[in-house]
Amino acid sequence: MYQYDAIDQQLVEERVAQFRDQTRRYLNQELSEQEFLPLRLQNGLYVQRYAPMLRIAIPYGMLSSTQLRKLADISCRYDRSYGHFSTRQNLQLNWPKIEDVPDILAELAEVQMHATQTSGNCIRNTTTDQYAGVISDEVVDPRPYCELIRQWSTFHPEFAFLPRKFKIAVNATESADRAAVQVHDIGLQIRKNDAGEIGFKVMVGGGLGRTPMVGVTISEFIPRVDLLTYLDAIIRVYNQQGRRDNKYKARIKILVKALGIEEFRSRVEAEWQHLRGKESTVPMSEFERLQGFFSEPNYETLENNPASLTNKLADSAGFARWFERNTFEHKKAGYRIVTLTLKKAGQAPGDATAEQMQRAADLADQFSFSELRVSHEQNLVLADVRQDQLVELWEAAKEAGFATPTLGLLTDMICCPGGDFCALANAKSIPIAAQIQETFNDLDYLYDLGNIDLNISGCMNACGHHHVGNIGILGVDKKGEEFYQISIGGASGHDASIGKILGPSFAQEEISSVIQKLMNVYVENRSEEERFIDTYRRVGITPFKEAAYAKAN
Amino acid sequence: MPKLIKNGEIINNNYNWLQDAEQAATPDSIVAAQKWLSEKESIGKVAGIWLEAGDGVEFLQDVDLSQFDVIGVNFPAFTDGRGFSYARLLRERLNYQGEIRALGNFIPDQLGYLLRVGFNSFQFNEEVDLEKALDLHKPFSIAYQGDVSDPRPLFLRR
Repeated sequence: MYQYDAIDQQLVEERVAQFRDQTRRYLNQELSEQEFLPLRLQNGLYVQRYAPMLRIAIPYGMLSSTQLRKLADISCRYDRSYGHFSTRQNLQLNWPKIEDVPDILAELAEVQMHATQTSGNCIRNTTTDQYAGVISDEVVDPRPYCELIRQWSTFHPEFAFLPRKFKIAVNATESADRAAVQVHDIGLQIRKNDAGEIGFKVMVGGGLGRTPMVGVTISEFIPRVDLLTYLDAIIRVYNQQGRRDNKYKARIKILVKALGIEEFRSRVEAEWQHLRGKESTVPMSEFERLQGFFSEPNYETLENNPASLTNKLADSAGFARWFERNTFEHKKAGYRIVTLTLKKAGQAPGDATAEQMQRAADLADQFSFSELRVSHEQNLVLADVRQDQLVELWEAAKEAGFATPTLGLLTDMICCPGGDFCALANAKSIPIAAQIQETFNDLDYLYDLGNIDLNISGCMNACGHHHVGNIGILGVDKKGEEFYQISIGGASGHDASIGKILGPSFAQEEISSVIQKLMNVYVENRSEEERFIDTYRRVGITPFKEAAYAKAN
Repeated sequence: MPKLIKNGEIINNNYNWLQDAEQAATPDSIVAAQKWLSEKESIGKVAGIWLEAGDGVEFLQDVDLSQFDVIGVNFPAFTDGRGFSYARLLRERLNYQGEIRALGNFIPDQLGYLLRVGFNSFQFNEEVDLEKALDLHKPFSIAYQGDVSDPRPLFLRR
């Protein structure tokens, strides 16, 4: 993974000094609440319902075991010994003290980490596929490009006070889109043109929140050397022309929609003509430098399906189940990608205790070249596990609570922290997740239902991505009471779509039974091999709606 | 006379920022750019013009900007970042070499970014301790991106 040189290190240290001074002035009342607000947000610090929340950046989800141990250690000494992995592949601490944050940042800097631009109206942490670099069907490894974007966006002098937050995601496979690039302000799909040059299909104006939209293509191919000038052109147009009068209409998607993609594209192209070929054009030497950080680890020459694996698959249904759900094909023979799920019943989705973080770091050291990834579905990934060590890893993962074999199933939910923590939330989301986990605890049934994305957000801001869940649950406030609106038909992959609302919202205690009714409709209507989303697309919303609102007889 | 920061020093402010469109311009005035453009014959000699957020810079592309000693950019709120692009475009696109002055509600903690996009003078709205503000003008000793003072990104200097 990327390693800081003296310059990167100096920058994070100067950032710590800057934020230490800002915090000191705020606590001395030299800096007003209103002035401190965007400054602290650009350092990931929120003031939440009960306490501040610090969001620590995990650039494109890559973590070393050393970094994860540091996070565990920080959570013990400055917080309540746990953290929450977010859908932007970051880690949130829910109970730090404001006056401790400069010290936390200083400790993070020791392991090449920071909280820069994890919030605020600026360019946020760039995300990508959690399987980047280890799958066979990607065009190229997207991580060097993510790092290029990270550096370009860090302390960008022109774009620190945009109309609204700005999120970029990169995907490099044609067969899947695990980074949900179509629901980002800018989505980048890496491809090669006919001449074999690497570049990007650029999508713009996707996003969730109050007005969910799927991004539209602004360019079919931008050569990689031009990536930064093209991004500068898009964001310069947005910075000047995006709406600033209403925060709910300030995302780039509203500008793109208002102008139409043709007009927006022509404005970007006009701007780009001035920038293209200038100094920010990326030289090949920089691509080579960055690619050098993501070279392959020292893989052994191994065979697929060693006897120790196939024997165990035959002997142990539990292991076979875990292998089928929670591991994924690796590009190298004899290796496998393993997801350590953070979706155990009784634990909020995405939460990990300090002990679990330490344990995951140990497992990374023992089984996966001391590196991990965070997925946007809020799980951890060990990307390079030898197949002949899978049984051993499975045993260890079970013990640590990482082996719930439900990856991609109904209970592998995406869930925001919701009203238990967040000041913005209209309703709690964690108890809904808990209710669903308790109700749908029969693994055979879950397997039979197959792949279903269920996403929960506690409010319109859609941190839990409810719009793009096959089933989406949104917390709403009805005269001071918490209710939940259910939508179906959303998807976040290459076939991204926004879910449709079923109808009037439900009380908290009704949620599981409604989900059960939706599942019944699916099971009754599905044809063989049809996923929930496919059945929905074929039969439409009506049968689901009728079942959900049918009066009990 | 009110003070301001220019080129890293605290100096007297010799110009008069005309925010009231009705007020008559004098040779030391900084006049609203749109107003100047439509009434330049009657306005006569001024120190410079100022841009309101929303103006953009395109409407100035046929104007000889070298006639102005100063171009101001107003920040209606410090969170309104349009002025960052305006200053950069004045320097890089319209090749303006004179003083670019930040006006309005920007805050001292933004000085680092403001300098990098081409501002070189700062006239604060509120009571600001200028000595303390000067301490904040360079939070970082190096930058990843190119900027107005050095257009080369770090990858060309690394």
